[in-house]
Amino acid sequence: MKFQSQKVAYYFFAVSMLLLCLQIVYGFIMGFAHMGFDVLHPIIPFNVARSTHVNLLVFWLLSGFMGAAYFIIPEECEMEIFSIKLAYIQLIAFVLVGVSAIIGFHFNWWEGRKFLEIPRPLDYLVVVDVLLFIFNIGYTVFKSPKKTTSSMVLFFGLLMAALLYLPGMIDTDHQTLDSFWRWWVVHLWVEGVWELIMGGILSFLLIKLTGVDREIVEKWLYVIVGLTFLSGILGTGHHYYFIGTPKYWLIIGGVFSALEPLAFLGMAIYAISMAKKGGKQHPNKIALSWTIGCSVMSFVGAGFLGFAHTLPAVNLYTHGTLVTAMHGHLAFWGAYGMLIFAMISYAMPLMTERKLYEKTSAIFAFWTTNIGMIFMTLAFAVAGISQVVLERRMGMDFLLVQKEIQVHFFGLILAATLFTAGAFAFVVNFIKYGLPIKKPV
Amino acid sequence: MLTKSAASKFFWFGTLGCGIAFVLLTLDTLKQVPIQTKSQNLDKSAIAGKHLWEKNNCMGCHTILGEGAYYAPELTKVYERRGERFIKSMLTDPEAMYPGERKMVKYNFTEQEKNDLVAFFKWIGEMDLNGFPPKPVLGRVSSAQGKIVTALNKPQTWNQLCINCHSIGGEGGNVGPALDLVGDKFTREYLVNWVKDPSKIKPGTQMPNLELSDQEINEIVAFLSQLKGDSK
Repeated sequence: MKFQSQKVAYYFFAVSMLLLCLQIVYGFIMGFAHMGFDVLHPIIPFNVARSTHVNLLVFWLLSGFMGAAYFIIPEECEMEIFSIKLAYIQLIAFVLVGVSAIIGFHFNWWEGRKFLEIPRPLDYLVVVDVLLFIFNIGYTVFKSPKKTTSSMVLFFGLLMAALLYLPGMIDTDHQTLDSFWRWWVVHLWVEGVWELIMGGILSFLLIKLTGVDREIVEKWLYVIVGLTFLSGILGTGHHYYFIGTPKYWLIIGGVFSALEPLAFLGMAIYAISMAKKGGKQHPNKIALSWTIGCSVMSFVGAGFLGFAHTLPAVNLYTHGTLVTAMHGHLAFWGAYGMLIFAMISYAMPLMTERKLYEKTSAIFAFWTTNIGMIFMTLAFAVAGISQVVLERRMGMDFLLVQKEIQVHFFGLILAATLFTAGAFAFVVNFIKYGLPIKKPV
Repeated sequence: MLTKSAASKFFWFGTLGCGIAFVLLTLDTLKQVPIQTKSQNLDKSAIAGKHLWEKNNCMGCHTILGEGAYYAPELTKVYERRGERFIKSMLTDPEAMYPGERKMVKYNFTEQEKNDLVAFFKWIGEMDLNGFPPKPVLGRVSSAQGKIVTALNKPQTWNQLCINCHSIGGEGGNVGPALDLVGDKFTREYLVNWVKDPSKIKPGTQMPNLELSDQEINEIVAFLSQLKGDSK
């Protein structure tokens, strides 16, 4: 750690880890409910568990992104962040908003709009908070004489993410338009600007861990984010097939979203070839594992499994079934979950000066979470495909189908237990690292 | 070999081109959606229904237009599939409709609110959704009994209400018993009394009183009485 302000990142990462643990708990509640064990129904009905599970994911990822930015920007810009105090204020505000939203869900205080359940008054606070963060980062980036491509890509990714939150707040009485604007936020986040953030963080990690020349890394970064937007922007059309929007979206959405895996494939090839190219033997091998793993798993989860049901002829049958949950879990884990794990694995030894990366538990965490998540994805796949065949193709009643596929949720829970063991090991390691040191070297 | 500035040009042209195309398509979509979704039928009651749908986060379990969670049924065509009476009974007391099955929160909706939700579902059901939800294309495994049943004229009450819990020829729910040979087991008179008020004949039964009209009861009993083993 070269700069005093980088240690702010630690607290963002800590919040991130805490929220991840909570997210897992709510995941189990839903898994058991699907198996018929819904004793918690009177207190935490399924829709509460689901909103909480999904929003905790968004919160922990955003907290991780912010932490990553606070760690990366000073180092890339070679100067302290504009205001450390502002960073702490912004973190506390972020936590307060998040906690209020999650508690609110348990008392029916929400907007019933998938992924954007946070109640409206809190939406405004989210915007203010994120603007404070953007200001803090942006001021540093633009005051610094050194403007690297990685830091600019990261900054613009964060800025666009903040701006794209706004279409979700357009009020409408029309269900179709409501969905239409909702995807402007959700799709353009995860299959658009979040990939900028991902690209920025990955290139930072690759430059540091592999020692490959910055020029080469950043050139390919342009190509990858170029591919992301080329496919991702019009790829939004794959959410506009069947919600009452014109037919041309079937073609536009189909063609462009079919190209989306290219960006992820590019990212995977890029990370692997940089790692091979780099002559540097960085001692923090586990951080490199997470970095490469992230690029590979994001291709499998977001790229390949997304492609598997993005074509209109397939999506007609899989739209609104558990097949979506299959894709969603591996995509978010591979692209964004592992990215934050990579960043934490890289930053913690530098912030705390403890070198815990050689520990078996760190390696255990890497393999167990990934194997667990792959099996979870398989369980969802079997349940989802069975649902598609029985319900959509054969016309069996919804509830009967749910009974048929109950057993796969037992498989899901077993796999999730494995995942949890890995995540637990990672969090324990995080705690063992302890607080960041006071003074930078 | 690709230079960094060429890569940067690729990024900017691609992004701006796609961005502009996306905005133009959005403008066109905003113009076409009201026609495609029959916005003229979106009355006050349906709008109120939409806000109730959101306020109670129905999407947290159900899907509509294929969007939401996968814990409870798709509701895009629920108005056509189940009809107004089933929807309202379900909204009044979900547990009475599906005893011992997957649970739904019991909301204390007023009569007006129930009407609003029905209006919302009716409006959603009439949208042109480019072919969604698809009609099942694979045949079901059919029994001899199933074929006979297909030949019989099933009353609407059966298709919208009874079928949720009971099956004939393998088609229908399994909350209540299958009714394939019900015509052999019970007389017409018994069936009429049963449907009128199940708990009067068998106290503690899980079957709800569906409050059918006399004509509906006659229709359904006439239909059920034909379900006999010797009709093969």
